[in-house]
Amino acid sequence: MEITEGLKIIDTGWVQKPKGFRVKYRKLVEGQLVTELSPPEGKAGLDSDVVAWRYAWKLYMATRSDADGIQDGELVNIHVVNDAAERVKCYATNDFDEFNPK
Amino acid sequence: MSRFQRIGELMAERGPELVMSLLVLVIGLVLVRWIVRVLRSALLKVTNRVTLVSIACNILMVLLLAVVFVSASLEAGLKPGPVISFLTFVSLAAVGVIVLFRPLLPTLPFKVGNVVKAADLLGRIEATTILNTRMKTFDGKTFFVPNRKILDDIVINYHFTQTRRIKIDVGIRYDQDLMKAKRLLEEIMVSDPRVRAKPAPVVYVLNLSRDCVELGGRCWVDNPKYWVTRCDLLEKTKLGFDNAGLAFAFRQLDVHHYNPPSEPGPDFEDA
Repeated sequence: MEITEGLKIIDTGWVQKPKGFRVKYRKLVEGQLVTELSPPEGKAGLDSDVVAWRYAWKLYMATRSDADGIQDGELVNIHVVNDAAERVKCYATNDFDEFNPK
Repeated sequence: MSRFQRIGELMAERGPELVMSLLVLVIGLVLVRWIVRVLRSALLKVTNRVTLVSIACNILMVLLLAVVFVSASLEAGLKPGPVISFLTFVSLAAVGVIVLFRPLLPTLPFKVGNVVKAADLLGRIEATTILNTRMKTFDGKTFFVPNRKILDDIVINYHFTQTRRIKIDVGIRYDQDLMKAKRLLEEIMVSDPRVRAKPAPVVYVLNLSRDCVELGGRCWVDNPKYWVTRCDLLEKTKLGFDNAGLAFAFRQLDVHHYNPPSEPGPDFEDA
């Protein structure tokens, strides 16, 4: 096998490089739980997982509620996904973190 | 006839024309200045291409100034033919001088809008004149740097290259898993979307120093994303190493306490 072929195998099979990150969450809309992405699909994703996780945490801090159940405007199950809509491990904990799980 | 008498006669003969000519000149200059200023601010609202706006405004200013001078000359009673000939001659002479001496004139190694490091300052170039360069540093200060100082100094223009290399240098303790650390650092760089695939990120063992094994991660990113990517990679490296149980090295010094065999000291009482 040529080196170039080997490098191609490594590029496709080793660590994947996502094209972008989005924050995924659920919220109440007219009594129904809907799932949304930020930035929404169709728009360019965030190019940094550090920024995406910070953004997710700020969304959580801005919308959290101590009440039981899900309140209007509250975002739940906030986590980060990649361009393939797969969950991304948080770089800080190396775990599939989720803010405000409900 | 004295000089004052000649001026008096001239004013008696052509006084109203000269006054009108002067008025046309002054009002014209003020108007030209105002028009160019308004046009510049209007164009800058439409486009952010400062250099193009500047060129367009300067060309318009020269044309308007020519119109003002011709008008003033005609008001003073001069014939239009010689005035236009004179202006044409001056314009051609100016262009000739510029073309002739352009290669000999020192040019600044940047354009407006470039991010440069010059004269111990890092910032964005806002404007250049014949005498100085206006630079805005990233902490919000505006510096007027003499061009002489810039031309005599080393200048780094960060706009000349599309990409920049990031250095992530870390030191791990000697009792840590070197291969694990190398793999992790490479993974952190490869998995970042902003890090370019080619040239591929590489991790080197830079040095076996007194305190640590020095690892050097090298990767390339697009120039505008350099700073944020570097900060993010450093953050991810620190936390990634913590999660993997890899301990960074710190400055250390082995202190050996020497206990000499006890011997009788000098008897000071006998002295």
